[in-house]
Parts: sequence; structure tokens; C-alpha cells
Amino acid sequence: MEILEWVRFMIGAIFILIGLCIFIIEVFGIFRFDYVLNRMHMAAMGDTLGIGCSLLGLMIFCGLNFETFKIIMIVMFFWIASPVCSHMLSKLEVTTNENLTEHCERRDDLAELERELEEEAKC
Amino acid sequence: MSKLVPQEKYEKTKAFHFWRWLSGTKDPYLDHVEMKEQKEWKEEEQTIQDRMNERQMIHDAVYDMGRNKKQRLFHGIYVAVAIIFCFLLLVILLYTVSNLPPTGSPEKAVNNEVPERYIEKGLQETGAVNIVTGMILDYRAFDTFGESNVLFIATVTVLILLHYTKKDAAAKKEEANDRAFEPKNDTILQVCATILVPIIILFGIYVILNGHISPGGGFSGGAIIGAGLILHVSAFGFVKTEKFFTEKTYKIICFVALTFYCLAKSYSFFTGANHLESHIPLGTPGAILSSGLILPLNICVGLVVACTMYTFYAMFRKGDF
Repeated sequence: MEILEWVRFMIGAIFILIGLCIFIIEVFGIFRFDYVLNRMHMAAMGDTLGIGCSLLGLMIFCGLNFETFKIIMIVMFFWIASPVCSHMLSKLEVTTNENLTEHCERRDDLAELERELEEEAKC
Repeated sequence: MSKLVPQEKYEKTKAFHFWRWLSGTKDPYLDHVEMKEQKEWKEEEQTIQDRMNERQMIHDAVYDMGRNKKQRLFHGIYVAVAIIFCFLLLVILLYTVSNLPPTGSPEKAVNNEVPERYIEKGLQETGAVNIVTGMILDYRAFDTFGESNVLFIATVTVLILLHYTKKDAAAKKEEANDRAFEPKNDTILQVCATILVPIIILFGIYVILNGHISPGGGFSGGAIIGAGLILHVSAFGFVKTEKFFTEKTYKIICFVALTFYCLAKSYSFFTGANHLESHIPLGTPGAILSSGLILPLNICVGLVVACTMYTFYAMFRKGDF
């Protein structure tokens, strides 16, 4: 049983270390990139993968009990809320930035989306 | 009593002459001399530019550090005094902090009979397991009442400043133009909000109702509920939210909550000060329905906070509910 405890500790520690590494990459990327969509990509990565990994490590430490259930709820909340938040921000950026083609390629169906938005704004 | 005078008679009076002189149509003292109306004074673009340039030139000459010795001296003294002042402040603050008693020492000034009574008799007297809630909603309930009223007054101020009442066509067009870039009716956000809004509001209600048992209470729970309402608005728009939350709802909720808080706590303080029995059961500590007035007061505070947060958001975004 002693060995099993050690294995559990090792796995949990590895997951938490992976999560920490991803957070470090996230912070580095946020300050390294200039354009808002790139930075948002980094921030969203930390909010999903980083949170997921580090809380998975905590769950392995905790074992099967009510605290683990609460941590799962936190992870679910983040995984539902954070991508939607990034989606809304990027949509706002695409609709408001007039010099969008300077930073990234623009697909054709975006023009259609913009027309739809203008029609919505009119009515 | 005043009566109506015919036009010809009125034209002979002093008042009419004075009025004509004031409005500049005719001078009554020089007979029948027409006066020119004055034009509005206008400044040309060139003169404005010249004046700005001149001002800039004077500014540059006065603050020319290379030549103005007085300015340079003043600047040097200014910087030196600022640095000395900062260091002096630092030394004074550090000296004061180093003379404070260490954390947890029994000689500390805050360790008097007040926290002692809170810790020893708090559970017995208020019935709340969470002693902080027992303090802010029982011993110091009027303080919390003042905080709720501050929130209410802040909302009233925001309503006075930002409430948008005129609804003519031009204003509506401007409003639509202002939000042309806002993504409306986003399907992804709507699906996410359908899942999250009930959970967030339920969690807020849980935090409010368990305020006297676990950490939490009216302020934090109300903030969570307000956040849920704001998410609902940004996903579904004001048309959907108007079905259950309008200005009238806000008025009724705030009025009822604050009045109930005031009356209930006044009663409790009145009986407590006169050593009368208040007939409010404290219940068993740890149960949901326990600790007397704390639970209803928590609900009141939570309602006021949630309404305040939502109203702030609505006012700053649209100027209307």
C-alpha cells in the first residue's frame, strides 16, 4: 500500500507540474504577443488546459470524496464559461477592428456575418 | 388688478419703449434712428492657430531648462524635497509599524472585552455558527443597514444621472448606432447562458441562505445573483429580462427589503435595550432555520445587492431597464 500511495503522489505531482508549466507559458505568451487575438489564444489555453491539469492533480491528491466533486464542478464551470468568453471577445474584435487584414487572414464568410450584424443593428 | 391694454395704448408706455431699446430695434431717445443688430462674434481659424502658437512659444521660453536658471534651481529643489519627503514618510511609517505589538499578542489593543464576548457568547446569543455573520447582522446590524442604504443611494444617484427618458426618433437612432458593433443574439453565448444562469443564481441563493452556517452571506450571495442576471441580459437582451425585472420591480424589492430590515432590527434593538423578551426563536445552531433574525436580514441584504448590481449594469449599458 505504501507503494500505491507513492504512485498516487507521483501522478498528482506530475499533473500539477504540467499545469504550472502551462500557466508559465500562458503568462509568457500574453506578454510576448502583440495582437489581441494571439494573446487571447494564450489566455484561453491557461484557462482550459492549465486549470484542467492542475485541478486534476489536486483531485488525485484528494481521493474520492465531496471535495473532488466540488473541484470537478469548478473545472466544468471554467470549461463552459472560458471558451464562450473568448469567443465573444474575438467576435467583438472581428466586428470592430477596421484594420483586421493587417494582422490576420480574413475568410470570405466573415463579410456575410458582418452584413448580418449590420442588418440586426438596423432593425 | 391688471387688465388687458390695447396695442396702441401699450405702444405709448415707457415699458414698451424700454423694451424696444433693450432689444435693439429702435432708440427711444434719438428720434426714429434705426439701430443695427449686432452680429455674433466669430474668430477665424488663422487667429486661433496664431494664439495657440504664441502660447506654446511663451510656455517653451519660460520652461526652457537650458537658459532659465531660476526654473532649473526650482526644479532641482522640487525633486530633492520630494525625495526627502518620501524617505521621511517611509521612516516614520516603518518606525510606527515596528512599534506595534506583534500579531496575536495578548497586550494588543484590539484584544479587549468586545472580541472576547463575541467569541465566547456569540453562538449562544445570536445562534449563528458563522460568528462573522453573527457580528455584522446581530451585534452591528445598524452598520450593515447603513451599508445597504449606501448601495441604495448609489443606485438612486446613478438613476438620476444616467436614466434615459426621452424616446424620440433621433435618440433611438443614436442608441442603435451606438451598439451597432455589439454582437447580439449569439447562439453560443445563449446556449452557455441557458446552462449557467440557473446554476449561478442557485449558487447565489445557497450562499445567502447558508450565510449564518458557512462563509458567505447577503453581500457575496447578492453579488453572485447579480452576476447571473447580468449574464442573462448580455445573452438574451433586455427584451427577455424586462419580463421579470423592470424599474418597478427594483423599486418594490428595494423598498420592501430595506423597510423590513429597518423595522425588524429596530424592534430587536428596542427590546434588547429595554431588557424585554423579543419572542424571536433562536433555534438550534447549525440548522437552516435558526439564529433568529439573521436569515431574513441576509435575504434582504442579498436582494438589495443583486438589484443594485443589475441596475448599475443596465444604467451604464442602456440607460434604461
